[in-house]
Amino acid sequence: MFEIGLGHYLFVSALVFCTGIAVMATKRNAVGILIGAELVLNAANLNFVACGRYRVGGLDGQVAAAFVIVLAAAEAAIALAIFLNFYNALATIDVDRGDTLRG
Amino acid sequence: MASVLQTCLLLGVFVPLASFAFLALAGTKLGGSRRQPPSEPDPGHEHDHPTGPARGEPAAGYVATAAIAFSLVMALICLVIWLKHPESHDAFTQAARDAAVVWTVIGNVAIQFGVKLDALTVIMFLMVSLCATCIHVFSIGYMKGDPRFARFFTYMSLFCFSMLGLVISSNLVFLFIFWELVGVCSYFLIGFWFEKKSASDAAIKAFVVNRVGDFGFMIGLALCFIYLGDMSLDGAAAIFEAAAHAAGKAHGPLSAAAAAVAPESVSRASALFTTTLWGVPVATWLGICLFCGAIGKSAQFPLHVWLPDAMEGPTPVSALIHAATMVAAGVYLVGRVFLLLTPGAQFFIAVIGCITLTMAALIAIVQLDIKRVLAYSTLSQLGYMIFAMGIGAWIAALFHLLIHAFFKALLFLGSGQVIIGCHHEQDMRRMGGLWSKMPNTAFTFLIAVLAISGAGIPWTKLGLGGFYSKDEILAVAHYRHFGWEATPGDHEPHARTPAELSVVPVGFEPGVAQHGLAPGEQGHVAPAAAPAGSHEEAAHHEPAYAAAYPEVTRLPFILFLLPVLIAYVTPFYMGRCFVLTFLSPPRDRHVHEHAHESRIMYGPLLVLAAMTAVSGWMLFRGLVAEAVPQGGAPTLVPAIDGSTLHSAHHALPLWVGFSWMVGLLAAYLLYRNGFGVAERVRRLPALSAAYAVLWNKFYFDHVYDFLLVGGTKVVAVICRLFDNWIVDGMVNGSALATERISRFSGVVLDNMGVDGAVNLVGKTGWGLGGLLRSVHTGIVRNYILLAVIAISGLVIYILSAGNLIWTLIWVALAALALLVPRARLRGPQAYGR
Repeated sequence: MFEIGLGHYLFVSALVFCTGIAVMATKRNAVGILIGAELVLNAANLNFVACGRYRVGGLDGQVAAAFVIVLAAAEAAIALAIFLNFYNALATIDVDRGDTLRG
Repeated sequence: MASVLQTCLLLGVFVPLASFAFLALAGTKLGGSRRQPPSEPDPGHEHDHPTGPARGEPAAGYVATAAIAFSLVMALICLVIWLKHPESHDAFTQAARDAAVVWTVIGNVAIQFGVKLDALTVIMFLMVSLCATCIHVFSIGYMKGDPRFARFFTYMSLFCFSMLGLVISSNLVFLFIFWELVGVCSYFLIGFWFEKKSASDAAIKAFVVNRVGDFGFMIGLALCFIYLGDMSLDGAAAIFEAAAHAAGKAHGPLSAAAAAVAPESVSRASALFTTTLWGVPVATWLGICLFCGAIGKSAQFPLHVWLPDAMEGPTPVSALIHAATMVAAGVYLVGRVFLLLTPGAQFFIAVIGCITLTMAALIAIVQLDIKRVLAYSTLSQLGYMIFAMGIGAWIAALFHLLIHAFFKALLFLGSGQVIIGCHHEQDMRRMGGLWSKMPNTAFTFLIAVLAISGAGIPWTKLGLGGFYSKDEILAVAHYRHFGWEATPGDHEPHARTPAELSVVPVGFEPGVAQHGLAPGEQGHVAPAAAPAGSHEEAAHHEPAYAAAYPEVTRLPFILFLLPVLIAYVTPFYMGRCFVLTFLSPPRDRHVHEHAHESRIMYGPLLVLAAMTAVSGWMLFRGLVAEAVPQGGAPTLVPAIDGSTLHSAHHALPLWVGFSWMVGLLAAYLLYRNGFGVAERVRRLPALSAAYAVLWNKFYFDHVYDFLLVGGTKVVAVICRLFDNWIVDGMVNGSALATERISRFSGVVLDNMGVDGAVNLVGKTGWGLGGLLRSVHTGIVRNYILLAVIAISGLVIYILSAGNLIWTLIWVALAALALLVPRARLRGPQAYGR
């Protein structure tokens, strides 16, 4: 009935992106924020892949997406390490409590 | 021959200088330590501590004595040459004048170094070197055991050099240089025993008082420099004479030197007579200022106060100062600048001399210290000389200076002998009866006393020393009062020949000493008992000065009377001194028993006694008279030859002929038995006040102490106030101003301005930081929101094709939306638990 094109991907991507932003902007739980960040990264992946498929051609978009996935994995690892330390220090992972460097 | 004369004189001057240099460098290293220590210690030596021979003793004394003896030999050679060539004296003088070398040029005035060579130089040189030689020999004995023996003779050599240099100077500048050298030597020697406070004070006093006189002298030199433009004695005199003629102050033919003066010099120098200061012509001021130097050096009123205090020096120094050098320099100076005197200046000089001779003689009556009696007698005799210069008795003044040098040196050396013999006792109250203990000294002392008293037989030619010179001074004074205008002018005023005014020099043969006494045709120094028949003839030859010198006035009677009266006082105080020391019964047994005579020291006494005895009628007067600064052409003031004043010489013995007998007899009667009679006389009510005045020396020291020292102190207080208030005020004010300015600069400019600017930068940063601080909430969500706002703003900016306004509106709204709920967002809830 209708053909799924680039616009749809982009729309979904934007939706995911905004969801991720919203999650990051609203969650206090550090893990939640990490999940939001993953959403944002995956929205970007979606864009890369979609644009690679419809516009650029070749494997460039997918390669970039693979980078981002790797990056996200590393980022998640680092983030979780930070959270553990955060918890060790403050006995909580409520990021609002980690305002020691507040201006 | 002229060059030989000059060489001899210069050698005679510079050998003592070489001796001075040698002794100054090596005096204390000279041997003499081989001498045995004195067998019996001298108990009276309080100045020196005889712990064996001092370094340089006695070789240093021998060196200095040899040097001055060499000068004496040179002087004798000069005298012989001079007397052997009576026809070429003018040539000698001229040759010496031509031989002068230019030392330096100041402005347009060339200062020449040369020898003033005339009969006066020759005879003065002889007198100075002879007296100095005797005093040197005496000093070797007197200074025995002094710890600074070598230094004493070092100074003595310098002193002799200075005085001899002064005598031969042909230039006022060099005269002044040697003059100051004499002054500084007197300072060294008066303060030789400077451990004594009184000695160092006396030295300072002598020096400072002389500075006062020298200040006047320097002004006189400056006037010479400005108006006359020639500092040589002859040149200045010639210009002065020419200017006086040009100004109509002097009449008659010009001398050759004066006629040769350039017209512009004459016109410049004429200002001396046309310019007046306080109603007195500058020419008179010139003479008075030059005379001021003599006031200081020759210790005339009112600067006489240093001379008695100078007795603090060793006795040979006193002898040297009083006889040959220091005080003689003043009279010699007046003699040399005689042609620069105006009648006014001359009158001033006569008044000063008269005051001095009167005052000093009166003070001498009451002195108890043997040396102080002699000091005041010197003052009085110097007063006579200066007075003689003032009344125009040029020859008599210098004649008296020469004679006085010998008998005063004799008196001082005799007193030195007495002082040493009595173990440094100077107080006549503790002496007495010394004739038997020291007969040689007493005898020579007596000769000197007779000489200073003017002892001689009136109306004959037999007399000693002062009999000739003082009588001649008084004769001129007599003439200047009684005969000045009354003398009939038989002669034309300008028709006088040099033979009338000066005296033909006498030969050197000892047998014709009478020639010196009676020089010229029928001149007599001593008042001559002229036969009645020749009286008219004598009056006929009386020179008519008054007509030739209308500006020179008759001498006031008081200026004649005072010297005559003092001629009675002089033998009295000298006789008192002699009687108290040698004749009256001993008053102090200890002093009398230990009194003794030193052998080396009375050799010079005998020489000087011989010179005193013969000086009156040897060649001195003839030589002085030859040098009289007149040369036939009349100048402003006359140099009156006393030996030609016959009427005065006839009248004078009535005035003073027996004064010496009266004075000496009175002294003998009064002091024959010591002070007893004198004490009773002194207690007379009428005399006690006079005694107090005399004892306090007319209160001069008190007045000077009050006026000058006190005045100086007042000035010092004013200066201190000035210093404290004005000078310190300026310093403090500037400090205060600096402090205020720095406070303004520190507080206002620095703290408020510079620091303000710096702080403003800081505060701006602080404020901005504070503003931006609020962004850093520490809440991750806020950061994300900010990022979203920023990105969305960027997107809007791009999408609106660069419309900044929409972008800002969006960002502002978003920021508001973020910041308004901030507090709520920072709530304490802990979701993550």
